[in-house]
This record gives sequence, structure tokens and C-alpha cells, in this order.
Amino acid sequence: MPSEIITLQLGQCGNQIGFEFWKRLCMEHGISPSGVLEDFATEGMDRKDVFFYQADDDHYIPRAVLLDLEPRVINTIMGSSYAKLYNPENVYLSKHGGGAGNNWASGYSQGEKLQEEIFDIIDREADGSDSLEGFILCHSIAGGTGSGMGSFIMERLADRYPKKLIQTFSVFPNQDEISDVVVQPYNSLLTLRRLTSAADSVVVLDNTALNRIACDRLHIQNPSFSQINNLVSTIMSVSTTTLRYPSYMNNNLIGLMASLIPTPQLHFLMTGYTPLTSASDVNNQQTVNIRKTTVLDVMRRLLQPKNMMVSTGPDKTNHHCYISILNIIQGEVDPSQVHKSLQRIRDRKMAQFIPWGPTSIQVALSRSSPYVQSNHRVSGLMLANHTSINSLFERALNQYDKLRKRGAFLDQFRREDIFKDDLNELDESRETVDSLVQEYEAATRSDYMHYSFKRAQENSKSEDAKSGGDH
Amino acid sequence: MSKVDLVRVVLHNLIVESQAPYTPDIIVRHFRATHEQRLSSNELLHLLATISQKRPNFQTVITEVTHILKTKDPMYALLVFIERFSCEDIAGSHSKIEMPSATNQSSTGSPVGALSLASFAPSASTRSLTDDSAIHTLSKSQSIPTSTPMNCRRSEVSPVRSTGGLFGRRNQNLKLYHQKQKTDPERADLSVIKERVLMAVSSSSMSNYRPLGSTEVNLMKSSASIKTNSSTSSVLAAATGLPDEYRTHMLWDYCKVDGNKTVLPELGALPLESQQGVLLKELIHCLCGTRGNFIVPLPPDANSTGIAKYETYFTIHAHLDKSLTELLQDILPLASYFIGIQKMMAATDGHGQVVNSLNAALQDLTNDFYVLVVQSEQELQQQQLTVQKLLYYLQPTIWVMEELWTTLVNVQLNEFQGAAVLTHLHGRIKRLEGDRAAQQIMIKLTHQAAEPYMRMLQLWIQKGVIVDRNREFLVEDNEVVHQGELPEHYSDDYWEKRYTVRRDRIPSFLEKYSDKILRTGKYLNVIRQCGKRVMPTQQMELQLDPTDERHVYVINDAYYFAARMLLDVLLTENDLMGHLQSVKNYLLLNQGDFTMQFMDACEDELSKNVDLVLPMTLENLLGLTLRLSSARNDPYKDDLHCELLTYDLVTQMSKIMNQKEEYWQSQDRLDLSGLECFAFTYEVKWPVSLVLNHIAISKYQMLFRQLFFCKHVERQLCKIWKENSIAKKFSPQAAELYRSAFTLRQRMMNAIQNLEYYMMIEIIEPNWHIFIEKMKKVENVDNVLKLHQDFLDSCLKNCMLTESSHLNRAIFKLCKICLKFCDFIQLSQRFFLDAELKSMVCDSSDDNTNNSDVDQGNSNCPQFESSLDPTDTFSERVKRFDLEFTGLLISFLKQINNMAKKNTADRFMNLVHRINFNAFYSDQMEKLCVKDAMG
Repeated sequence: MPSEIITLQLGQCGNQIGFEFWKRLCMEHGISPSGVLEDFATEGMDRKDVFFYQADDDHYIPRAVLLDLEPRVINTIMGSSYAKLYNPENVYLSKHGGGAGNNWASGYSQGEKLQEEIFDIIDREADGSDSLEGFILCHSIAGGTGSGMGSFIMERLADRYPKKLIQTFSVFPNQDEISDVVVQPYNSLLTLRRLTSAADSVVVLDNTALNRIACDRLHIQNPSFSQINNLVSTIMSVSTTTLRYPSYMNNNLIGLMASLIPTPQLHFLMTGYTPLTSASDVNNQQTVNIRKTTVLDVMRRLLQPKNMMVSTGPDKTNHHCYISILNIIQGEVDPSQVHKSLQRIRDRKMAQFIPWGPTSIQVALSRSSPYVQSNHRVSGLMLANHTSINSLFERALNQYDKLRKRGAFLDQFRREDIFKDDLNELDESRETVDSLVQEYEAATRSDYMHYSFKRAQENSKSEDAKSGGDH
Repeated sequence: MSKVDLVRVVLHNLIVESQAPYTPDIIVRHFRATHEQRLSSNELLHLLATISQKRPNFQTVITEVTHILKTKDPMYALLVFIERFSCEDIAGSHSKIEMPSATNQSSTGSPVGALSLASFAPSASTRSLTDDSAIHTLSKSQSIPTSTPMNCRRSEVSPVRSTGGLFGRRNQNLKLYHQKQKTDPERADLSVIKERVLMAVSSSSMSNYRPLGSTEVNLMKSSASIKTNSSTSSVLAAATGLPDEYRTHMLWDYCKVDGNKTVLPELGALPLESQQGVLLKELIHCLCGTRGNFIVPLPPDANSTGIAKYETYFTIHAHLDKSLTELLQDILPLASYFIGIQKMMAATDGHGQVVNSLNAALQDLTNDFYVLVVQSEQELQQQQLTVQKLLYYLQPTIWVMEELWTTLVNVQLNEFQGAAVLTHLHGRIKRLEGDRAAQQIMIKLTHQAAEPYMRMLQLWIQKGVIVDRNREFLVEDNEVVHQGELPEHYSDDYWEKRYTVRRDRIPSFLEKYSDKILRTGKYLNVIRQCGKRVMPTQQMELQLDPTDERHVYVINDAYYFAARMLLDVLLTENDLMGHLQSVKNYLLLNQGDFTMQFMDACEDELSKNVDLVLPMTLENLLGLTLRLSSARNDPYKDDLHCELLTYDLVTQMSKIMNQKEEYWQSQDRLDLSGLECFAFTYEVKWPVSLVLNHIAISKYQMLFRQLFFCKHVERQLCKIWKENSIAKKFSPQAAELYRSAFTLRQRMMNAIQNLEYYMMIEIIEPNWHIFIEKMKKVENVDNVLKLHQDFLDSCLKNCMLTESSHLNRAIFKLCKICLKFCDFIQLSQRFFLDAELKSMVCDSSDDNTNNSDVDQGNSNCPQFESSLDPTDTFSERVKRFDLEFTGLLISFLKQINNMAKKNTADRFMNLVHRINFNAFYSDQMEKLCVKDAMG
């Protein structure tokens, strides 16, 4: 009956972070890997039914759909102790099993071909919930399946379920290392277009920043996937904690999102989490507990760029600002501290806000799972809408432009239906992403309300003309 | 039978006095024995002589009995013997007045016992003046009405006397005397009648005497007494200034009766020695309130008021020796005090338990006083008493008596009753700090006077029961209806009104504990009403000892016991905190998912007009939601119900705040939507209903309605957010058009959400936190109530739900404009969506086409025509909404600002900080300030 959420995990990355996410949820709700409620967790006042439903034999089954075009990750999952957790009908593996070859177009067209089978699963899942609130999509934007098939499914979902929310946890590629996927800029750009037009909110998980945080903050030299995914699963579980442990506010997804996203386009969210601990830290008690954790400390640290899970690059002009902030604070919090902390942040101008509308730091005090021991008295997650996220898109644009200029690696795209006739799709995507970058840029200015894309475009066109002249 | 008892009692007294080796029964047996077995007359006489030898007049009596024995039955002789001594016993030392009247004397030879007795007296009295005071024989005509009945009445009084035999001799007699006095006037007449009757049947034998006395006389009494009664009593009433019924005190203070003219001995001619003897005799009588000849009380002034009413002045015979007179002046106040006290005791008889108890205590003191007087008299008879000596003996008593008298006069003058008497007495104790004797007596008096009060107190604090017919107790039970009859509102007033303290009925020594006392019994009653037995661990005797504070410990013990027990019943057995948590979950929207689901379920129903809403549907939906949400684990979920009130929040508020009328009574329905009238209600059983009573629930409901309404607005805003998010598909050019609408929506969202955050996170949650912390240390249920009320009041106040600030109206208006905007957007959504998609198809992004489309759409819609000018374009309309909303919000913030300046304690300012966190509204607020300042 409550606002259920169906999770869709796509591709290698999506399934990996999804797997971690479910592991974490099971732990927090006291559900064993086989889906049985642990004895100690029978009395809970939590809401398991947002993400789980109960089978006939009272097993808890995640409302998850696992999709992939190649069997490797899903097989790993089904070989793990959590194999019995999932509904096997919800696990879909492409029969030909060849994957998408890191090709967005391939993933997209395969998704188109397989849509009937896939949407059978999704529709069944949606019918099974009383008042479905929306979908959460886990994928990466750089690969083939997650980006390509994910894009296709997103578009379809938006058409089929116009009243339902679509939220994505989208993993952006690591910019610091050279990717083995050469068409990554194409993939990213094409996916970004769908994220802009089809998704209601996108939580950006930037691999660059995640790796950096793992190195700098957790002191792991070469962070493994599972270590990174641990971070991701933390963010995913905490960002849904107000849904699962309902309190006064933010107890449905729409309430969570609506205040963060003032205009439909600006729906790319950054996250930050503090305090961060890795498994090694837990073992090494000395490094833990040396820091004081008050609400103010947590909220102040969340505003520091180094704790953000998005690498926005240095803000040279220092004009970027917060459009909105939601802090989800967990732990032993005296509610009266919240106001004091907010006052302090306001007085010291620790954060810069948009000039064109009222905004504030919303603080949601959330209960946390009684079954997971935390080393910290207080911990906090920030979901923020910050204009500097456009640097990420700019970067994607630049890389795309570089590649596109050379016309490199376009053959494998042309092979697929969508690019059979022309490459308009790529150009349109570029335009969409470019206008997104412009809009974020405009959001830093006080005249955002009257900002006209046409004018901006004209400006950029004249620049383009100059550069075109150089060609 | 009664006669025999009288005989036994008198014999017993004599035996005790003489310490002879007999018992009354043996003597009676001797006299009753048949002729053969009987002892000789001489032996019988010897027997009588032995036991009566201690009496001064025993020789005369024996001589008389000797004569009788010769002619009559020995039993008759014994009766005569007894009669002689019993009259002495009854009358006491000061009333041994024999009554040979002219008529009596003429019938001396009569064989009837009573008359023969009477005839004997004068001879005895004339024979020795020292024996029976000469003064009394001189005043015989005066004493006739009173003294005669004494003899004649013996047979009637004796049953009473026999029961009183347990007391000491002196006491018993005094008591008898006291009782006799009550009916004295009547008796006086009776005696005369009786004598006549006896005269008439003078030929009848002794055996006839008894039936006459018991039956015929009684018959006569009713008919004959009426004639003379009125005249005698009126004389008496006039004489003393007191109505008949008040003559219950044992005073002989009758004033002069007409015809009482006797020759007084020339006192001045007597030697000082003799003067003193006569005087002492008279003085001692005077001390007991008997009227004398040389010391004559002035007739009380009937008009006297105040203190004078209880004072008596005496005139002393002018021929008395000066030195004696001086001494007398020192002693006579004692008589005045004594008489005054007796009068007051009589006057206050039946004025409540406390006064009665006080009078009983005073009676004991009176007895002690009589003992003192008797002792003096004995000394006088042994010729050892002088006036100086008497003064010496009496001096301490005078002081004490004076104190007593003053105290009682104050009680009288102020008409104190019940607790006020105790307060007064208790107050006197302190005042007597220097005078140990008087203080002791006052302590004793207070102690005894407080006994009935303390009994009531004990019953109340140990059982919770009030037995208080005279309405003297400090706690009053105002029960109007029984619990079962009016279950809904029963507990509302219970706590405050069921039992109340009567402030004027608290004795001063309990003043400090009155609250505790009230609560103790109240708690016990609540516990009993929960169906539990109240069994105090220890039943401590509660007595007032004014010298220490023992009663305080008892009260405290009882209080802590009751408080602990009720707290236990409430918190542990009835899980008050669980209930409160439930109430918070539902009525304060803490269980957010439940609220959201319920709103989902009831949205359609509640959007109707309140008259069309079906309460059954709501109730069903509520039940469904409760069972499906996370609330299903709540054991108290079934206590939650829906309620459709018939007035909006603003009305409810003013009603609750004013409390002038019964705010739950329905009145005219306004044109309201279901949503505005909806509230949850939470029904609990006794005793939780003490805390969650109707008023508390109403306060919760007020909070609920504001929160619920805000939540509703937030949901509507979220809904249009989702619908509008379709705009992300639009071309960037088109999106610009709607940006003003989106940002306005965002501002609304910001305001509403921050308002919710403020109320929930900054007000309710911290207050709840404080409440819970304090509840951990709570000691009694009154504190629980207080804390709970504080919690609610603080929440109400800070959520701007107080009548004084009109802020809640502003909130309501803000919400309304948001809802209107939502409606507008939803309606235009259809048109601009269609238009936009069309425009996307034909790739024309001309503003005018869009606007005209919207206009067309709007013109089709009659709803807008009424409120808005149909020719307005979409953007103009948004602008108008913008202006209206911003204006309202700014003035709202301004209002809060102004209030915060006046009262820094409130937290309203936090809301301004929240809504205006990034100083977005600062300019506009300043502008408004400037405008205000300008005019």
C-alpha cells in the first residue's frame, strides 16, 4: 500500500551497485540473505514494503528488476548467498548474452528489441504494488547496457508511467584514468540527453570523485570496485532512509525531490556524506572517534567540496551556488541543535545560494536502523542541487566534441537502427546537453527568471561561427 | 428494679467511703430477708451506721431509721436511709438544700415516704447551721422549684445514673446534674404536681408509690405541666437572658425570683472569722455559678453585645470587711470566666463536629474545675480554708481560665466554625509561649477539638472518602454525574472540578498541605475508579499534636503512596506514554507514511463539501490505511477515529481560547470543504482520559488541522511539480515561458515546507523531547497533567495557534493562495501542454501562439472567469499570483519580525530565518518597512 518503489538495475555497473544496495537494505531491515526476517527484527517500526514485498511464505522479496545483456555480474549475484533473495522472474538476461559491447546504440536497439519481455517484468511488478510511486534506475552512463538500454527503458517508462517518478543513480565515468571504452564520450552524451528529458531526478555518482574520496579520505591506494560500491550503497540507502523510516517530513520520494528541483531541467543532484569510514578504519579503532560529531560539524563538513561525491573541478570564477540542499541527518540528535547549526551556517555564509529565489538547507532528521552499528554519533547525507554540476556536462561535451570533430568510432553506431540514416541523434543530444549547461550557468545569475535560451544560443552560435571559421 | 439499682449505687458509694467490709448486695439481702432469718433491728442499724459513719449527718439519719424500723418493714427503712444519702450524693455539696415548704411541713406525719423525707429536713437544718448552710435555709422559698424535683425525680433519673456508674462518683453526679438541668423548668412544675398527687393518695401504702411515680405521674405530666410551664420558663428566660433551650449548662445562675425576700444575717456584725466562713461558702458556690446572697451576680444585660455578653459582674455585700472584698475582687473574675465558658458551650451546642468536640473537651476541663472546687470545699469544711489560701490555690486556674475564656469569646464573636476554630485555637498556642500551663491546656484542647477533623482527614487521605455532613472538611466533592452516564466529557473537568479545596475550611496548620491533601484523596479515588483496590500499606493513626509535625509525616506518607500508585496505574498499567506516542504519531503527523497514505485514500472524499462527506467512508478508509501502513503494529491504532468538525480552525481556536461556550457544540455550518473540517480524534478510556481529555485532544486537533492543511498544500504543490516536470521535454525556448510559474511554485513550496519543518522539527519535536525527559522524572499525576499541558500549550503558541496573534490567519491565507495557484496550474496544464506539444510538432515557439492557446482554454473554463479576467495571458496571471503570494508572505514575515522584536522568547523568528535563509526576501521586507514608516 505505501508508495512503493521499483528498482531497475541495468548493466554491469547498475547490477553491482544494486547488489550492494540490496545487501545494505537487508542488513538495515534485519532481513537475512535468503529473505527471511531475522528474529530480532520482527518488532520494527520501519517500512520494509517500500522496497520489499512479502511472498506467500512471508519471505521478503525486493521490488528489483535485474537486467543485463551479458551474464557475468548477474551470475555472480545469483551465485552469492543473496541468490534466493530475488524473485528469479525479475532477473532478465539477454538470451544471446553477448552484451552491448560498450556501445550505447547497441544497448539502445537491444532494449528496443527486448522491450516486450522487459516490460512484461516491469508491468507485472508495477501491477503488484498498490500505489507505485516511481522507479529507481541504477546504471552507468558510459557503458553499453546501462547507458543504451537504460536510455531506452527510461524513455519508455516516462511514456508508459507518466505519473510515476523516475529517479536514477547514474554513475559517471572516472575522468582521471584513461578508459578502455573509447566511445565513452558518445555514450555519455547520448545518455545525458535521456537523463535530461526522461528522468525526474538524477543522483550523480561521479566515479572520479568517488575514487578521489576513497584515496584521500579513506586512505585506500587503489580502491576496488566493491569499496567504491560500498560508498555508493551508503548514499543510496541513506537517501532513501526517510522513506523507510518515516517521520514528519520527506516520507515519500516526491516530497524529497520536489523541494530540491525548482525547474524541471535542473534535476541533477550531487551527494555528500560524512563521516566516511572504510572497513579498515573500523578495524583500526584509533583513527575512528577522534573527531567530534555534532550536528553543526556534520552540516559544515557536508558543505565542503572535498566531501562531495561529484568532481566539479575548481570553480575559478566562484560564481556557482546552491539551488537547494537537503541534509538527512541520522543519529542521536537533539532537535534544537539543528536550528543553531542552521543559524551558524547562515551567519557565516558558509554556503552560497541562488539569488533568484528563496532556498534553504532543509534538514531531515531520520531514524536509522537499529540493527546496524554506527561508529558515529551523528552522520549526514547531503543531497544538493548545485550549479557547478554543469562542469561535469561541459567536460562530457568537450570530450564529445574532440571525438566528434575527428569523426572517430562512429561506424559501430551507424550499424544500429537509430543512427542508420544520420547522426542527428548525436547532434540533438549535444544541443540538449549544451542548453542544460547554459541553464545551469544562467541559474547562477539573478536574472535567471528572464533568462532566454534563444539569446544565449545566439551568443554561442556567434562563438561557434568564429570557431567554425577557424576550421 | 430501678429503685434497687439506685439503692445499690448509693450503698456502693457509702461502702467505698467507709471502707466497710460489705457489698451492696449483702446489705440489701439482710434487709430483704424474711422475718425468721433477719438480723435484729439493732444489728441492721449498726450496719447502716458503719457504712454511713463518714457522712456528717449520719446520726440524724440513723435516729430516723431507728424510728422507722420499729414500725415498718426493714426494706422501707433502708429506702429511707438511702434516700437520705442519695439526695446528698446527687445534689453535691452546693445543693444540699432541703425543701420544707409550708405545705410540706404540715403533713409531716404522713406515712408517704416522700413527704416524710421532706418533713425531716427542716429539723435537721435548723438543728445545725454549720451542717446545711444557714443561707440556704433562708432562701428555701426560692429553691423550691429547683430542689424539690431532685428528690421526686430520682426514680426517673436512676436508669441513666446506673449507666453512668462507670465514672467516678463526683463526675457521675455532675453529669446527672447536667442532664437534669436540661429539663429543669419542666421538672419544677412536675414536682409540684407530683406532690399534690401524692397528697391526694396519702392513704395508699408504700407499694403504691412506685406505680404512681412511674405511670400516673407521667400521665399527669403531659396534661398538667402545660399550665405552669409557660409562666415559669418565661420568668427564667427573662432572668438569665437566655432562652430555655440554652439552659443546658450546669449553672445555677437564676436571678432573683419575686418573693424571694429573706432576712439576711447582719454580716457586718459577725466577727471576721465567721464572715470569712460564710463568704467562702458563698464564694465556692459562686465559682460554680450558683447565685449567692452576699455575692450577687448582676443581671446580664440582654442588649449587651460582643465581649460583654460573656462577662458577669458581681456585687459584693457592702458590709463585708474591706480586705476580704479586695481579695474577692481577685477571685471573682474566675467565676465570670467559668460562667462565660459554660454559656458559650451551651450556645454552641451542635454547631458542627469540631465545636462539639471542643465542647466535650471543655466539659472535661469543667469537671477538673469542679474537682478543684470540691477540694477547696473540703478544706473549708475542715475549717482550714481562708480567702487568701483560696486565692493562692486558684491563681493559676484564674490565668488559664482567663485565657480559655478569651479564646472562646473570640471564637464566639467571629462565629468561627469547623476549621476556623481549629485555626484560632492553633494560633493561640503560639501566643501562649510563655505561659506553660495555659499552653498545655490549649494544646490539649486543640488536640481534642481537632479529633473529628483529623478523622475526616485520615479517611480522606487513606481511603479517599469524605464523610462530612456539616461541610467542615477542606475538600469538597462536587460530583454531579456518575462516570457511566456521561462518558464523553466526564474526564474533562474531573481533575479540576470533581474535588476542590474549600479555601476557607482549611485549618492553618494544614494550609501548606492542602494541595497534597486534595491530591492524595483524588488520586485514591481515581485509582478506585480504575477498579483497583486502594490498600494503603500502613494505616497510620492521624492525630493532631500541635507540638510536633507528626501529622505532616502521615499526610506526606499517604500522599506519596497515592501519587506513586496512581502514577504506576497510569504509566505502567495503562501505558500512558504509549498512548501519547500514538497520539503524536497520528495527530501530530509523526507517522508520516500513514498520513500520506491516508491523504491518498481520502483525497477525493475530503475535497467535497463537508455536508457531502460521508463519515462512514472516512472511517472505513482510515481503518484500511491503519491496517496497511506501518501503523498496523500500533496496539492503540483502534483508538483513532475520524471526526468532521463543523467549524474551521480559526473558529475552533477562538472557542477553545475563550472557553466561553461549550466548544464542542455544533453551530451553523459554514461552507467548508471536508478537508478544512477534518480532524482525527483519539478516544481513550479512563484513566488515560484524565490526561488525554477532551480539551487536550482539541488542542492536538488544532495542531493537527494546521499541519494537515499545510501537508495538503505541500502535496498539491508536489503534484503540480510532477505534472510540470513534463516541461523538461520542451524545447529550452518554450521552457522559459513557464519559468516564472515554476519559480513561483518553488517559492510556495519553500514557504510551506519551511513552515512544516519549523512546526514539526523546531517546535513539536524539541518540545516533545523536553516533555519526555521531564516525564522520566515525574512524581505525581498532577505533574504529568501539567507537563502535558505545557507541552501542548508551547506547541500551540509557537505554531502560531493562539488567538492573540493573527498569524494563523495569515498562514491560512498563504495556504489558500497556494491551493488556488495549484488549481490554476492544473487547469492550464491541459492547455499549455497541448499547445506546447503542438508547437513542438510544428516547431514554432512563438510566445503569442502559446498565450492565445492558453487564453482560449481559459475562456472555455467558467471557473476562471469568475476569479480572473479571462483576457489575461498565462504569464500575466502567474504574475498576479506572484504578487498576491509575495505580498502575503512578506507581510506575514514582517508581522513575525515585529512580534519577535516585542517578545524575544518566542521562536517565531526561526521561521523567518528559515523562509528567508538566503536573504531572498530581505529587500522586499525592507521596502515594506520603509513603506510602513512612510505612512
